[in-house]
Amino acid sequence: MSAASQPTFETVQLIELEQMTHEACDALDFGVIGLRPDTRADVYNAAEQRLSGIDPALVIDAPFFSTIGQCMNNFMVAQRFEDEPDLDEIVPFVLTLRMRPTRVRLRLLQSRDVARRYVLVER
Amino acid sequence: MAISDDNELLGFMYACPFGLIELDETGHIGMINPNAMKHLLPLAGADGVENFFLATEKHAPELRNFVEGFAADFGTICDGHRIFVDLGRRNVGGDPRVLSCTLVKRAPNQLIATLSDISAQVSQEYRLRQADTWFSALIDEINDHALLTVDLNGIVLAANTSFTRQTGYEAADVIGGSVEAILSRAQSMGQTPLSITDQLALATRNGWHLFEGWETRADGQRYWCQRLLVARAEAEDEDDRAFSLVLRDVPKPGGKPDDLVELLTRDYLTGATNRMQFQKTLERERVRCTSQGRPMSLIILDLDDFKALNDAHGHPTGDAVLKRVARLGLEHAPERGVFARLGGEEFALLVPDCSLTETTEMAETLRQRIAGMTVAVPGARIAVTASFGCAEMGETDGSSDDLIAIADRRLYEAKHGGRDRVVAS
Repeated sequence: MSAASQPTFETVQLIELEQMTHEACDALDFGVIGLRPDTRADVYNAAEQRLSGIDPALVIDAPFFSTIGQCMNNFMVAQRFEDEPDLDEIVPFVLTLRMRPTRVRLRLLQSRDVARRYVLVER
Repeated sequence: MAISDDNELLGFMYACPFGLIELDETGHIGMINPNAMKHLLPLAGADGVENFFLATEKHAPELRNFVEGFAADFGTICDGHRIFVDLGRRNVGGDPRVLSCTLVKRAPNQLIATLSDISAQVSQEYRLRQADTWFSALIDEINDHALLTVDLNGIVLAANTSFTRQTGYEAADVIGGSVEAILSRAQSMGQTPLSITDQLALATRNGWHLFEGWETRADGQRYWCQRLLVARAEAEDEDDRAFSLVLRDVPKPGGKPDDLVELLTRDYLTGATNRMQFQKTLERERVRCTSQGRPMSLIILDLDDFKALNDAHGHPTGDAVLKRVARLGLEHAPERGVFARLGGEEFALLVPDCSLTETTEMAETLRQRIAGMTVAVPGARIAVTASFGCAEMGETDGSSDDLIAIADRRLYEAKHGGRDRVVAS
């Protein structure tokens, strides 16, 4: 894949993320968090690890919104995944990356045809 | 620290089920964990969470005052201070959303704030208090306190012998008549007289209503009386509903409980009614006015360019202006009116029993008084203005949320129309 065709935070499609290899996902320059229907995380790419400083071992298989992703456990993020079966929206947000308040953009991706839902993070 | 320890510490902070924030005395946030962010973001929006005082300004403006008023270099500034974040909530009967905030100064200009959601505990307390009152009522009956049974219209159905002993009225003289003939109107917080209809409505809604005040015996002697009005549980039919009214002759309480009431219901800085108390009164008056087919109006006002004033002259000057405006607002509140500080530089005047036209005139008078006052600062006198939005229950969908929303929208129009004006349609 050439640099020019690298998917971006704004353009990447849900289906592309589903079909992407681990290596390709890790090569993206924005954070990718994938959640199973029970909200346990099963994708946590390299860019996201760099942003948060967290070992993926602490994230993978844990219920995301009640552990690492608590700050998204409100009507602005978690509730939207519950309420909107088809969701593709960018929201301005503030994360606590390494405990520092950090302005980011989140892209929330969900489709009724795909079990996994995604939160993309652009610093 | 080894990398793995570092990682574990970070993971621990991310997963901590309690909000932790490090800030300086201006409120600037240095560190914050996700749990704290979860609470602050919905209050402040993505633009407002870099400063703790700005983020909490709408709901707990007193936090900044607490910090400014704390002179020592170290120590606890407030412990478990309650922040009510649910003004205008949709489900009136729903549980309140309450945050508990503790502020500790660990060095000059270094503060730690903790935040936790205590909504469940607050609801639990409320239910316990309710249960307590029910138990007290049962015990009162066992101990043979003065007891009246009244119907839905406040007509006395029965009176026990203790009632005669305590009040000097014979049962036969009071049965069939209204309790209003023998009891005074209940004064709540020393300012709002409640008719028996109001009290019965409250007892119907909440299961009970407790109040105290001066009563007069048949021979004219005054005594301090605690009254408990309880909706009796046995009534199957709405129209057959009966109430127990327990009267207790008690010594007049000392100053302490009044101080506590003051502390819990008044805004720390301005002395206006606080947000939490305003919310309670708004809902109570809505029920009363709606059930009696009376109007109820609301004025929301917001000082113009207040942030610029604070930036130019400092927070102490801003605080002085807020106090002056509150004094004017309290002076202009009518008999049942409630003047409250909703947060920051936003105030409200609840005007029960008044039409929108009367209320608009009231807002116009208050606008002129505010525009006419000046506050002295070193070397100058500064003037302030405020914008006003007015609304009346008849314009709403019947909820107090909608009343606030309409007044807010008009306030917004007043701001955009050039400020220093009243919008009421």
